[in-house]
Amino acid sequence: MAMSSPPTGTGPDPGTEPGIGNGTDTGPDAVDDSRASAERPRRGRGSSGVAGWPFVAPFLVFFVLFLVVPIGFGLWMSFTDSSLTGHGDTDFAGLGNYTEAFTDSEVWQSLGNTAWFTVLSSVPLVFFALVMALLVHTGLPGQWMWRLSFFAPYLLPVAVVTQVWNLLYQPESGMFNTVLKAVGIDGIGWLVEERYAMWSVAILTLWWTVGFNFLLYLAALQSVPDHLYEAAALDGAGAWRRLWSITLPQLRRTTGLIAVLQVLASLKVFDQIYLLTKGGPAGSTRPILEYIYDTGFTNYRLGYASAVSYVFFAIVLVLSLAQLGLFSRRED
Amino acid sequence: MNGLSRRRLLKGSLYGAGAAVLAPALGACGSVTGSVSDADEVQFWNLFQGPDGALMKDITRDIERRTPGLKVRSTVLEWGAPYYTKLAMASAGGRSPDLAILHLTRLPGYAPGGLLDPFDMDLLAEFGVRREDLNESVFKRCLYEGEPYAIPLDTHPFIIYFDRDMMDESGLLKSDGQPVPFESPAHYLELAGKLRADHPGKLGPVFGHTSDAGMGWRMFWTLFNQTGATFDLSGRRLEIDREKAVEIVEFMADIVRPDCRTMDLTTAIATFANGQSPLIFAGEWELNTFRTAKKDTLGAAPFPTFFDRPGGASDSHSLVLPHRADADPRRRRRTHQFVAELLKSSLAWAEAGHIPAYLPVVESKEYAGLRPQADYAAAADHPVLDPQAWFTGSGSDFQNRMCQALQPTLTGAASARSAVRTMESEINTLLSKPNPA
Repeated sequence: MAMSSPPTGTGPDPGTEPGIGNGTDTGPDAVDDSRASAERPRRGRGSSGVAGWPFVAPFLVFFVLFLVVPIGFGLWMSFTDSSLTGHGDTDFAGLGNYTEAFTDSEVWQSLGNTAWFTVLSSVPLVFFALVMALLVHTGLPGQWMWRLSFFAPYLLPVAVVTQVWNLLYQPESGMFNTVLKAVGIDGIGWLVEERYAMWSVAILTLWWTVGFNFLLYLAALQSVPDHLYEAAALDGAGAWRRLWSITLPQLRRTTGLIAVLQVLASLKVFDQIYLLTKGGPAGSTRPILEYIYDTGFTNYRLGYASAVSYVFFAIVLVLSLAQLGLFSRRED
Repeated sequence: MNGLSRRRLLKGSLYGAGAAVLAPALGACGSVTGSVSDADEVQFWNLFQGPDGALMKDITRDIERRTPGLKVRSTVLEWGAPYYTKLAMASAGGRSPDLAILHLTRLPGYAPGGLLDPFDMDLLAEFGVRREDLNESVFKRCLYEGEPYAIPLDTHPFIIYFDRDMMDESGLLKSDGQPVPFESPAHYLELAGKLRADHPGKLGPVFGHTSDAGMGWRMFWTLFNQTGATFDLSGRRLEIDREKAVEIVEFMADIVRPDCRTMDLTTAIATFANGQSPLIFAGEWELNTFRTAKKDTLGAAPFPTFFDRPGGASDSHSLVLPHRADADPRRRRRTHQFVAELLKSSLAWAEAGHIPAYLPVVESKEYAGLRPQADYAAAADHPVLDPQAWFTGSGSDFQNRMCQALQPTLTGAASARSAVRTMESEINTLLSKPNPA
């Protein structure tokens, strides 16, 4: 697809061919024709594509070297007892790592933590991004300042964000507990008590990354055609009616996109948790990626860590496909 | 025809250009790990940052100055789990440095896997360092199958620091400037209560532990070890004196309950340094911070003996030879020489608070004059290292798990028994896994 070739100058002239690529939705008598055309353009593309190879070769080498090969190698490792110390590379373990993964309670616990974080973070990250974008778009004074302050945290590196929030969350001297104490409420152990820790991480993540979704929403809002609002206003629709019947339906595509991106980003959570709690207290915030990291790099069990990665990969793949299906159907 | 050949020419030159672009990138893969270097340099990986790092740099420079022909290239890496990941990978990949710092407690995860080469004690003796010059209780942990796979540079124990003035006001300082001994957990709690009562508006003794991957375990292991009760990792399942463990965790909860249930290490250090607390349980490696903040009011002592025998959780920065298939005898010789010189320079190293493992230094008059280092030097006689298993040691996942298991109990959210149950099940999980080394 990406390597569309110039239509002229190559061997067999593709210009004479009818309807390339849209054979399936034409009438029944077009079936033979489409089959014929399905073969011939491939030949055409093959010979003319060669001219494109040098252009993509540099990328392709890196793509193969740093993505395809590692993915394949990781899959191979997941069937061995490979260790970081170089032992067991050739000890074929069959499906042993996979059966262990499915019966390993820590895999399930950390998968559960990842899922819980995804729920806790994705919902507000979509909702608040929308609310913030709507507020800014309805014309708060000093729009540029709001835009900047909502988006700025997204630009901070994770190390800075966790440093700052670690101070805010301090049980003894942190700002949150100081404020709570001032209004007569006992402080809580934001990061040190099991029942609050994941919430604290989710709140931090909301503050840190909501700016990106906010920006996507704001861009989408600005591209909603004005004439829709004008027509609605002429028909006597109030602000709420316009929001429900014009703005939100017009944003549906963007919401779908943001939801997909957000869920994928939340599933990949690792850095802020590793820096803030190392997965604690009592493993209550350890995401699956930290378990994979700990298993593979701290405890050297690369083979097993690869197997867990592939289990996680399969789950992410199924989820993404399901989401994609869900949203594309809704759009139709 | 003409067109085709022109196109072919163009194609050919493009491929050529592509290859030219890629060649340096691919070629670089071979040299990024830095195996190519000045043949005379000893490559030394360490994890010393901050004041420790500056000190090590000075010591190394001094050694280079007084030892002609010895050049050292130090690579400082971030301490913690990632350091050990890198060291293991470098050793396994055959592009290891000549010399590296390893926490001695990590040796069981390294030596049996062939990641390290043993030292040659005769060669070290040639440069003036003999086996009997080294702290015996630490050195015996350096042996694997009878061979010395590590040479200890220091011992760094978990100790107490105190504020001389505040302790004195409560009458808890003996005439020699050391605190009165805490004879039992109950006695300690009583005196801690007194310290608190005598200094209204300030905190009692502090211990920072939340969100830390080491402190909780250090305290538990210190106290548990003082009881001499069973804690055996050598079988397929943990053998532990459960009742003793529960008692210890309850005592830990008692220690932190009044003032530091949810205190983290940074806050505890700041609280003590600012004079808001009379006593802190902390690592000797915090010495520099406290000395700067408290000047002459700072006192230090080995970890108190609350139970039957003395001891404080310790580790040792030890020197190891990462495995090299092609070990060049000349390089090895120079590396041994550098190790010997480092040990002999460890009076300077003691500045940072670490207790040298090289006895001639510890026994010297100069060391006796170092305050408060000399006051807690006795801690090196009873170092309590992590129990031996491939997964234990400083910066390990094991220590993090133990700390996390303890945390709900220390914050008051769970019982001591549930903490012990979690610790046991975590350890049994680790024991049930195959040893990857």
